[in-house]
Amino acid sequence: MAANTDRRRINAPSGGTSAPVFAKTVLESGYLQSLRPNRTRGPNELRKTFLQTGIVPSASGSAYLEVPTASSSQSTLIPPTSSLKIAASIQGPKPLPRSAPFSPTLVLTTTVKFAPFATRHRRGYIRDSAERDLGVHLETALRGVIIGERWPKSGVEVVITILEGDEDAWWGDSGAEGGAGSGFGLLNVLAGCITVASAAIMDAGIDCVDMVAGGVAAVTGDGQKVLDPCPAEHQDLVAACAVGYLASRDEITEIWLKGDVGADPDELIEGATHAALGSVSVLREVLLENMEAKMNITKEGSKRKLEDVEMTG
Amino acid sequence: MPPKSGFSRAKNVDYDDDDIYDDYSEEEYAAEGEGDAMSEEDKEQMAAGVAKVKEALGSEYKVKEVDIQDALWNYYYDVGKSVTHLKNKYAPKPQTPAKPKAVSRFDQAAGAADAKTPTSTGKHMLICSTESTARTTSDWAQDSERDSITTICETLRDQLGALPQELLNISRVIPNHTPSCASDYTSARTKDFFWDMPWGNVPSNRLATITMQPSPYKGGLLGGSSKLAALAAKRKQKQQEEAAAKADAAANGQTADKAVALLDRLNFKDKPSAPAREDTKPRYPRKRSATPPPQEPEFVREEPITEPQGIRIEFPNLRAKQPSMFGAILCGSPPDEPEQQHVKRALSSFPLPYANAKAFTDADPFSKPSPDDLVRQAQARSAGTPKAKAKTRGKSDGDQLADSVEKLVVETKVKSKNLDVVEEYRKRHVDHGKSTLMGRLLYDLKIVDERSVDKLRQEAETIGKSSFALAWLMDQTPEERSRGVTVDIATVPFETDKTSFTILDAPGHRDFIPNMIAGVSQADFAVLVVDAQENSFQSGLKGQTKEHALIVRSMGIQRLIVAVNKMDTVSWSKERFDKVRQATTSFFETASFSLKNITFIPCAGLTGDNVTKRADDARAEWYSGATFLEALEASEPKTRALEKPLRLTINDVFRGSGQNPLSISGQIETGTVQVGDVVLALPSRETATVKAIELPDGAPAEWAVAGQIPTLHLVDIDAVHLRLGDMLCAPTAPVRLVKSFTCKMLAFEHVMPQFVDVFRGRQQATGLITALASILNKNTGEVVKKKPRIVKPGEVARVRVELEGSAGLPLEVSSRIVLRDGGGRWGRDC
Repeated sequence: MAANTDRRRINAPSGGTSAPVFAKTVLESGYLQSLRPNRTRGPNELRKTFLQTGIVPSASGSAYLEVPTASSSQSTLIPPTSSLKIAASIQGPKPLPRSAPFSPTLVLTTTVKFAPFATRHRRGYIRDSAERDLGVHLETALRGVIIGERWPKSGVEVVITILEGDEDAWWGDSGAEGGAGSGFGLLNVLAGCITVASAAIMDAGIDCVDMVAGGVAAVTGDGQKVLDPCPAEHQDLVAACAVGYLASRDEITEIWLKGDVGADPDELIEGATHAALGSVSVLREVLLENMEAKMNITKEGSKRKLEDVEMTG
Repeated sequence: MPPKSGFSRAKNVDYDDDDIYDDYSEEEYAAEGEGDAMSEEDKEQMAAGVAKVKEALGSEYKVKEVDIQDALWNYYYDVGKSVTHLKNKYAPKPQTPAKPKAVSRFDQAAGAADAKTPTSTGKHMLICSTESTARTTSDWAQDSERDSITTICETLRDQLGALPQELLNISRVIPNHTPSCASDYTSARTKDFFWDMPWGNVPSNRLATITMQPSPYKGGLLGGSSKLAALAAKRKQKQQEEAAAKADAAANGQTADKAVALLDRLNFKDKPSAPAREDTKPRYPRKRSATPPPQEPEFVREEPITEPQGIRIEFPNLRAKQPSMFGAILCGSPPDEPEQQHVKRALSSFPLPYANAKAFTDADPFSKPSPDDLVRQAQARSAGTPKAKAKTRGKSDGDQLADSVEKLVVETKVKSKNLDVVEEYRKRHVDHGKSTLMGRLLYDLKIVDERSVDKLRQEAETIGKSSFALAWLMDQTPEERSRGVTVDIATVPFETDKTSFTILDAPGHRDFIPNMIAGVSQADFAVLVVDAQENSFQSGLKGQTKEHALIVRSMGIQRLIVAVNKMDTVSWSKERFDKVRQATTSFFETASFSLKNITFIPCAGLTGDNVTKRADDARAEWYSGATFLEALEASEPKTRALEKPLRLTINDVFRGSGQNPLSISGQIETGTVQVGDVVLALPSRETATVKAIELPDGAPAEWAVAGQIPTLHLVDIDAVHLRLGDMLCAPTAPVRLVKSFTCKMLAFEHVMPQFVDVFRGRQQATGLITALASILNKNTGEVVKKKPRIVKPGEVARVRVELEGSAGLPLEVSSRIVLRDGGGRWGRDC
């Protein structure tokens, strides 16, 4: 751990910082619980997703995904539920450095990094184990999609920055501050990473067999299966599953099960693929828009540069 | 199919009849529908077929209707074949020879494994075909049993016997029966088809009824025949029950219809199997999901997924068109929405925490003037008062600076007269006493303290030259001191009550004429020091004194102070002074000096008489004029061109201090310079920035103007680009480096086209006078003679000079140069 500490910057306290807790929540006992968010959508209803490609002009492909907060309370500054904001950029495919050994296929590198402010528990500047783990999962999900044989001696980097991540629990619950949590938030983050990386790859124009999309399903304490769970809205999640799913081939490239699944994990995985289908529908729309935009650009010539400049905002 | 083909083949073997299998039947089958029971179409067809067969058979054959139906069903309503089959069957011929053979073959082929069971026929069929075929066969067997057991058994025997025979002896059968080759081939093909079917990958269209089974079909029959047989028996029983239930209501054909329909399915092998997929059979058999994934991608978005297990997913439209405010800023506005509106909406959805506070809502921040406005108002109020500091630092507008400088000069006239004094002392070689006179001047003005003079005096006495002590104030290098002559220019600033001066002590010796020229070129006026002693004066006037005066004149210096030095040695003799005065005056007249600009002062540098104070010697009472210092102070400086671009000749390059690694000093000829200016060094063409300016007295300044000799601390330039004599000029108006020029020249000696040294300040170049253009009138400037062959001394000529070497000299119109050949020299400007 000592070797991993960041010595180049003046770091925040290691315990992390979080938004203030107001006196009212302490003085009035019931007030805090009244702020608790509840799932207003149905168990099979997914959150709306915002997805846009081409946000980083210098990258060969990029995308931004946002799963906004369903309901925002006006009475407090603290958002009751966390939302998901992920930016992905693709560098490459580019030739491998001379020092690298020969590779007949595309070398895929995935980097997932939480922004320090992404979660209530502040993250460091150096990737921690959870982030590296996410990177490995994402790489697994993408490796099955990309047709690597078409890019020998090349490498592509998928850089994911999580600007805001789903929390593992509601902030009002004691123990959520500790940072350990149940880890179910990470599944949402992984599913988002898969979807946004897929969009970015699509934007970069890298050959793929299909569009991979992420989806999450979970089982609550009473045995109910919910799709796209927001951990802040559920107190009693028992198990959750995130998949990377190829819809048109009905294949799963990545699966991550967590918790006490019970006797029949298939149902949970099935549910996660359904959630992934929802992401696919968004991805497909974005792909079409992207294609149309590119067609227009090839028609109109130099318009792209102008647009790129505007997008940097 | 196998019963039919096998059956027909068996008949062909025996009778070699003409019922050759043709493709017609298959096409007809293709048109037929399918279903578990006979459709109306089938019934119609069956009825028509029965009528036709009956007609064709005529009355000779006693054939039951059921048999006809069976035959028709087996031949798929092929009337001709059915008739042939029935004719063969009911023919009066004995069939015994064929039967035992077939049975024995069958037994051989079927083996002992399945021979014991009473339902051996159906079981055997199962081995060779699919489950549906087995059912068909069992149906058929059931019907036959019911109606005409013996006949059908025979038929079955034939059928079944033919099959293993085919299997075992196919190579033998085909050559023996060439007329039925097509039929053989067909049967062989179908045999192969059914033979491999249970073993390999079963095509999905042949597994049409598998999902009907309660247990999943494993896809293999290897060794599991008894279990399957049990299944078949179970199914058979079930169907018997069904048939019994329907018995009263349905005719015989209905049961057959069902079987026909089932058998028909087998004939779709050559057809696209699209209809077979319409049921809920999964496309991907390995997937255990009961929910099929969408076949078409659009399926997901357009309609909800049907979920038999109760999960119903509603994806109305998951894509959010509106990101959060952060996302809106990051991604920009969508193309179909104006940006302003977009951002405004994002802002309105984000509550500012202080927006509801009373202090925020009540505050009117723009009711009072802004801090900037306050400052501007204050500035406007004070605009009427004169500006003391008009020269703003860093402002590079030269004209503006020059204006302000002039104003300043007018206001503080006494203090900043900024005169520069060139002390030109000459005598013969040495010892006319100019350095001593200057030392005395400095000493008396308390520029140097007594202690350092005492020290110098002590040092001078040790080497036996005590009279040189004051001179050493100016001559500081060991070489100068040991030789007792001034070698290089020494600049010493001093200030009187009225004026500040800079002494440029120039050498007098002829070996150092270039240094002298460099000094003279910076001077405002000159002080000529002559020795009052008779011998010295005579030789001096002949030698260097004359040349120096000419140089001074040729450099354009009009004002001259002649200090007749060492008057103490001639006892302050007035006669001596007048004699020297007359001699020099006549000389100056020839050198085109104006006499009113020449002042003669008797003085004694060693004793200091008449230098700064009146001579207290009684013998000097005859002189009532000004002292040397007063004469200096009376001198007016040359007017300087402040508005012209900067021209500065570098007199010295040195390391000023640690903070100022590179400094130069030199006189500004024209223009102004200030801190922050960028200057261009010539001829190296490198630019530098003025970091700081120091005046000759060491005081820092922000600006300097023409006539001053400041020290400039430069940055952004390397020392190798700066040499003595280089020029600094304004980068906007640089001096051109010229290699050939035409100049007006005042000749002091005979001039012919020849090699000369060209001096411009400290810069020196070798040149060649290529042409003598004309001789001009000295006063009017008119051309007297064109293309002279020689220019005599005292004449003014226009000559063309070409410089050698690569660099050239930075010359401008009206800049002054000196052309010198060996000992001779002549002046002047371009």
